[in-house]
Amino acid sequence: MRVSKPYRSAFGTITAITLVTALSSVAILKPSLALADETCMSPYMAKIVGQEDYVYVWTLGTVGVGDEQDKLVTIDVNPNSTNYGRVIHSLSVGGRNEAHHSGFTDDRRYLWAAGLDTSKIFIFDVHSNPAKPKIHKIVTDFVAKSDGVVGPHTTYALPGRMMVTGLSNNKDHGGRTALVEYTNEGEYVATHWMPTDEKPQGAKKSGQFADGYGYDVRVLPRRNVMITSSFTGWNNYMADLGKLMGDQEAMKRFGNTVVVWDLHARKPKKILDVPGAPLEIRCAWGPLHNYCFTTTALTSKIWLIYEDDNQQWQAMEVADIGDPTQLPLPVDISISADDKTLWVDTWNDGKTRLFDISDPFAPKQVYEEKIGGQVNMLSQSWDGKRVYFTSSLLANWDKKQGEDLQFFKAYAWDGKKLSPKFSVDFTAEKLGRPHQMRFGSHALYGQAHPNLGTGVAQRTR
Amino acid sequence: MNMRTPLLSALTIALVTSLAAAHGERDRDRPKIEPQIEAPGGALLNFAAPSPGTYTLPILKHATDGDVLTIDGTATRLHAVFGNRIVLLSLIYTSCSDARGCPLALLVLQQVQRRLNTQPGMPDRVRLISLSFDPVRDKPAVMSRYGAGFTGTDPDWRFLTTASETKLAPILSRYGQSIVKEKDENGVFLGTFSHVLRLFLIDSSRRIRNIYSAGFLHADTLINDIKTLTLEEVGATAAPSSLQGAGDDKTGYDSSTYQTRTRSLQNRKGQVADLNALAKQRPLGLPAIPVPADNPLTPEKIELGRKLFFDRRLSLNNTFSCAMCHIPEQGFTSNELATAVGVEGRTVRRNTPTLYNVAYMDALFHDGRETTLEHQIWGPLLAKNEMANPSIGFLIEKLKGMSDYDGLFEDAFDGRPPTIETIGMAIASYERALISAASPYDHWYYGEQDNALSDSAKRGYRLFAGKARCSACHVIGMNDALFTDNRLHNTGVGYTASMYKTPATRKLTVAPGVFIEFDGQVVADASETPPNDLGRYEITQDPADRWKYKTPSLRNVSLTAPYMHNGSLPTLRAVVEFYNRGGIPNEGLDPLLGKLGLSDSEIDDLVAFLGSLTGDNVDVLVSDAFAAPIGDVGR
Repeated sequence: MRVSKPYRSAFGTITAITLVTALSSVAILKPSLALADETCMSPYMAKIVGQEDYVYVWTLGTVGVGDEQDKLVTIDVNPNSTNYGRVIHSLSVGGRNEAHHSGFTDDRRYLWAAGLDTSKIFIFDVHSNPAKPKIHKIVTDFVAKSDGVVGPHTTYALPGRMMVTGLSNNKDHGGRTALVEYTNEGEYVATHWMPTDEKPQGAKKSGQFADGYGYDVRVLPRRNVMITSSFTGWNNYMADLGKLMGDQEAMKRFGNTVVVWDLHARKPKKILDVPGAPLEIRCAWGPLHNYCFTTTALTSKIWLIYEDDNQQWQAMEVADIGDPTQLPLPVDISISADDKTLWVDTWNDGKTRLFDISDPFAPKQVYEEKIGGQVNMLSQSWDGKRVYFTSSLLANWDKKQGEDLQFFKAYAWDGKKLSPKFSVDFTAEKLGRPHQMRFGSHALYGQAHPNLGTGVAQRTR
Repeated sequence: MNMRTPLLSALTIALVTSLAAAHGERDRDRPKIEPQIEAPGGALLNFAAPSPGTYTLPILKHATDGDVLTIDGTATRLHAVFGNRIVLLSLIYTSCSDARGCPLALLVLQQVQRRLNTQPGMPDRVRLISLSFDPVRDKPAVMSRYGAGFTGTDPDWRFLTTASETKLAPILSRYGQSIVKEKDENGVFLGTFSHVLRLFLIDSSRRIRNIYSAGFLHADTLINDIKTLTLEEVGATAAPSSLQGAGDDKTGYDSSTYQTRTRSLQNRKGQVADLNALAKQRPLGLPAIPVPADNPLTPEKIELGRKLFFDRRLSLNNTFSCAMCHIPEQGFTSNELATAVGVEGRTVRRNTPTLYNVAYMDALFHDGRETTLEHQIWGPLLAKNEMANPSIGFLIEKLKGMSDYDGLFEDAFDGRPPTIETIGMAIASYERALISAASPYDHWYYGEQDNALSDSAKRGYRLFAGKARCSACHVIGMNDALFTDNRLHNTGVGYTASMYKTPATRKLTVAPGVFIEFDGQVVADASETPPNDLGRYEITQDPADRWKYKTPSLRNVSLTAPYMHNGSLPTLRAVVEFYNRGGIPNEGLDPLLGKLGLSDSEIDDLVAFLGSLTGDNVDVLVSDAFAAPIGDVGR
């Protein structure tokens, strides 16, 4: 059943107008072309709209490569810097923790980087010197404090606190899990269990599934909505991919749900059936765009999670990604801030695909490019003109043989094609396997960039 | 253009909804940050705020004290100003012009004040506080003028500042409020601060219960949060859940009509049982348990062994306990994996064996290579692909350093500390106590209660001991039954895994009732070479022992799917059908196997019989396991 679409409105809301007229002293509104990105960041967070200085790459330690430890790798990506294109810093944290995702606090002073295996959370100070992040604190008791949640995944900024999604638990290493809330200072606050059949916590099971699994989290504050997706438990995400796919029991243990929560009350409201392991969630930015996208890893589809005309949240399958029978395995996605395009990386074929999502109910692929032997994460700059890719998925899922497997690659996007700018071979550099990228900048903290070259051309665009 | 001094004015403001105009070239190159969300605080809320008392506000942290000045310049403490009221504390500065900042906070607090003014019981319980973080310019007199329009009405609204930036700094730090002075290109302070707007909801016990920023600040939600604090009550706990089976039940997943029946981990709670007493009572159908003379069962050893069994710190990286594979509600094995996964996701070749009645086993591991539980325990503890402790000494020293084990070994072992011996003896004592029998079958066969078993199960028993020849290996005695001969046999399951060609395509489950025919090559690069498994041969090096594995007991067998040494058969019916076909032909196939010629209804009867072997105390043992503390770092 198709309901009327959430429609597009250019700019301006009643909220803004009312606020402006209500206040005697109105700040200057910065003119700005809000084209894209950091579109996956929390809406509560300040963002970089000009040239980012650094990309922080949360990197998985690899047996036989360098010091074999997880590390935060800092790459200089400012074309005006004398160090452009170079790894300028690498901070090893000890052990292999299944380094995976990371996220800033809402004041963007700290980067929380989580380990899916050891359940440690490494909190990096990125504001004292953005060129050289340092360890601020390591949360080692995440499992004990949370009453058994294992595998911290998304570290998502809420005002003054961090919402951390879990993937598993310490009872059976399966997929039942919870969201765990922390203060920005790294103190445990609360555990919010995903709704199950036995304990739905008031949530309505709208279809067949209430699996209690978790993965990503995003919020739409203007609708008081928080949305979570569902992947799989420790037993599966840590296992060798070939072994896992040969294990009939294990293959039954992937998430098939997206949960819509009351953001303010942290209460699950509705469980939507989204079969096939829905992973990353990206919500639209337009003030009347009450919808988010997710993609299912196993069934290779784009799903739209949207609020219908009756203020009911629904899930609808809206497009295939590549040929699902060839297991392209969609992983990271990135929405443009004008809600018009969606990048979709498919890990197994090493490709990125761009979908036109002007009509969110009918995404159309408009571009495709092979990035490497495998590809996982992507991040785009504020204006969408710079797109960065990394390769690693999970320690025991990554390809063991093949060409061009572990990299960071920087591209320029001109609206029609991706052009390579530079790349870093993470194996040759003895770093490990690059995973999630986050942008850093001196300007965020009122600091001057220390290495801007005087003779470097200022504008290459 | 040199950008040595980025302009900080860009750090402020900009409603995301007003970003229509194009950047100037200069602006576009300038690094800056902007908030990404409209501030709802000035307008009608876009949704109905959740009702007071329908949710809880967790305690975030202690709201710390600090030295402040009132509007008449009196030095006081922040807590003194709080009194015993619910407090809304707003950090601002008076010359702030950021539409998303301090003026917004002022506006919303004014709305809160007006609306609470008319609500019974509220004005006396709430206090609003605006504290400046610009002590240089916001002297008490400035604060007095700033707040003039808001004081003198209820709820009470206090305007505070501090004597100096030195007095202010610890308050900002403890409340997590970062401010950056905005400077021009020459480094001269512009008089404005870049900051994330922060308001704090503090309960009457001086604990922060919510933090608001511009994108999350609205009078509706604030007022309901305040009311929620006034209504606080602890919710009731839910009913206990069923004990047996994976809490994440995937039975029927192959069908598109599959529905979840997921249990809640919050309800996974149990009661401690007297395992020592249970182990010493010989249950119907089993002999007395053999106990080594040098390791008699004691309550202290069992309790210590249980604590060790559930302690995830007993591994290289604190992620693995014995119970991560021997999961109590999953038959003390794993129903969720055909073959186990160890530390860092390393592949284990074999299916986790159940621990029910392991006390009676003469040979341990699927290949029978260990002879006592006390020794066996060190196998998984040291295996690189299981718990991966780097050495015996490493683990002993680690245990000695865990304060929650202080004195426990000494109490259980006459003053002896953790050693290679006492660790093995303690865990062995717990595992040895997991005795389970007195099943419906036992009541029927040994207890001679005719109605204890269904007719189908009775027919199944006769097939089991007769035509189907199961009891040739799964032995039933006159007075008791272990359902194992404690010997090793080649059924062809291992031979198949080693010698058969890998099929080019296979069926892959991608969602309930959804499959793809999947070319194994597609993920070949991402897969390790599957490890081979030659069974008993790996121990004896005798070719005659290739692909021989130990006969498991069948007690509680309906709790321990999937089956065979590699978990390759998903159900008991599939196992019976496998033996009905006579196993898989190979040179070493056990001569006891052969085609059985069982009909479908006979297979049903055998499955019914196997289902009657579940002990009467499994809920007691599982509940006891649920009550065990799980060892994790920090606990």
